[in-house]
Amino acid sequence: MDAEEGRGDGFFAPTASTLVVGLGNLLRADDGAGARVAQALAAQELPADVEVVEGGTLGLDLVNLMEGRRRVILVDAAEMGRTPGEFVRFGLDEVSLLGTDQYISVHAAGLRDALLLAQVLGALPEELVIFGVQPGSLEWDDALSPAVEERLPHLIAAVQAEL
Amino acid sequence: MTSVNVNVHHVTRVEGHGNIVVDAKNGDLLKCEWQIVEAPRFFEAFLRGRPYYEASHITSRICGICSVGHATASLRATENALGVKVSEQTELLRKLLFHGEMIDSHVLHVYMLVAPDFFGAGSVLPLAASHPEVVLRALRIKKLSGDLCAAIAGRHTHPIAMAVGGFTHLPTEKELLALRERLVAARDDMDETIALLKTLPWPAFERETEYVSLQKDDEYAYIDGRIATTDGFTYEIPEYRQVTNEHSVPHSTAKWAKHNRESYMVGALARFNNNYEQLHPRAKQAAEELDMKPLVTNPFLNSAAQAVEMVHCIEDAIDIVDELVDRGIKEEPLFQFQDKGGEGVGSCDVPRGILFHNYVIDDEGFIQGANCVIPTNQNHANIEADMRALVPQILDSPQDEVRQTLEMLVRAYDPCISCSTHLLNVEFV
Repeated sequence: MDAEEGRGDGFFAPTASTLVVGLGNLLRADDGAGARVAQALAAQELPADVEVVEGGTLGLDLVNLMEGRRRVILVDAAEMGRTPGEFVRFGLDEVSLLGTDQYISVHAAGLRDALLLAQVLGALPEELVIFGVQPGSLEWDDALSPAVEERLPHLIAAVQAEL
Repeated sequence: MTSVNVNVHHVTRVEGHGNIVVDAKNGDLLKCEWQIVEAPRFFEAFLRGRPYYEASHITSRICGICSVGHATASLRATENALGVKVSEQTELLRKLLFHGEMIDSHVLHVYMLVAPDFFGAGSVLPLAASHPEVVLRALRIKKLSGDLCAAIAGRHTHPIAMAVGGFTHLPTEKELLALRERLVAARDDMDETIALLKTLPWPAFERETEYVSLQKDDEYAYIDGRIATTDGFTYEIPEYRQVTNEHSVPHSTAKWAKHNRESYMVGALARFNNNYEQLHPRAKQAAEELDMKPLVTNPFLNSAAQAVEMVHCIEDAIDIVDELVDRGIKEEPLFQFQDKGGEGVGSCDVPRGILFHNYVIDDEGFIQGANCVIPTNQNHANIEADMRALVPQILDSPQDEVRQTLEMLVRAYDPCISCSTHLLNVEFV
């Protein structure tokens, strides 16, 4: 794979059937946990059919990014009422997204908006796995909170085990 | 006689926070205001004391939608202040990048923000359920424009590779050719877009105003040129204050602007009215399909003018890619600061209209003063003037319809309210 094909932003038609997207803002403490997982995975040797994208605060573009993939694994901070650092693996059928009449801001669409739209459009991949990690802090900080930092290697390992 | 009381506290499907307040009793319009309630953002103050090379990166954060536009205007202001000449390759790449952003912003507005009104959908989600092909088409065009920007600037929102005097990263020929293929394929999507817009029941409302945009003799102007108005005025870019005349009004945290009349309009429709002759033939054809020829005075058709511009941008982007590939992409030296400051104004016609950045840079390369005049500011007075003209025409409609039509009017301008809010500086002597 040459450098261009490894752009990791869906510029060229996808060749890897599995896509891992780590989401979040690295400047908002634990919100960046997903992005850190993507960074850690991207630095490792991965199977040829896996592509890793650090999605940042990607909005509706996620719908396009998932196109043509058989399996998509999303990693993001999620408010789940658990203890900070705890992570949960779930599928879309295990959670409820908002109703379809809910107002979506396309100027600041998030993961839920993108998934709702993909669902309505029938554009979800065959297999969608979400790793939600409970944040401890969403303050302005370029470091994770200690609780999430401590659990991060376990989260990375859990995502890696899927590949 | 009819009484109407419309109070839309925060219009949805626009960027930022604005209110529509209309109060009419027995046919008399007692109050008709377009209120801007967004908090000011102080970007000009952020710039003071920062080195010149940070300005484009700081000001691109003014807007997540037209961050390339702000970065370009910022770089042009800095380059004019420091006497930097840019290469033809840089000019071509900036134009190509600008087209990407124009398409990206327009497709978002036309499909995600405006279209739901015509389909009776509250947002893009029910629209996706009832007309998935429309939304999929929009997402396809959006992906193309985003990829175009990413190939040149590293990423679209808050571009990385744009620098004073040139680019810190260049696209490869392979990327350009891949983009070309997709741009050509997008022609079908644009045909469908124009066909769709042709069927939409645009509200019938005409109010002629002064239309202000950049203008060039040899091309449809987006970057540099002169300031032109449909009232026959032209100004050089450094004379921008003679056009904008920013002032404060009590019901707005954003400044308002006026030139020859009580208000003027900027944006796609203003560019269309001023620069129709310089549009690509295919874009003119699209305009003909939509029955549009200057002077178009229905502000709702700003969205249609955006679609015409998308056709133009796609065609011009194809031509620019061809030229770049023919010339071959070359590494070029970047600007080196020469211990000499100055003042400069940069102007671009970004998706929502003409934009000005004005910097004073000292001999050590630090910014001493900055002024940014944002398109949405220049439109606020015109939006309100439209509302005052429109309300009496629709007063007899059901109140919900009045509200809906007024919201559609505001949306037609594609206002980016967050970008436009900054406070007046007051210094007591």
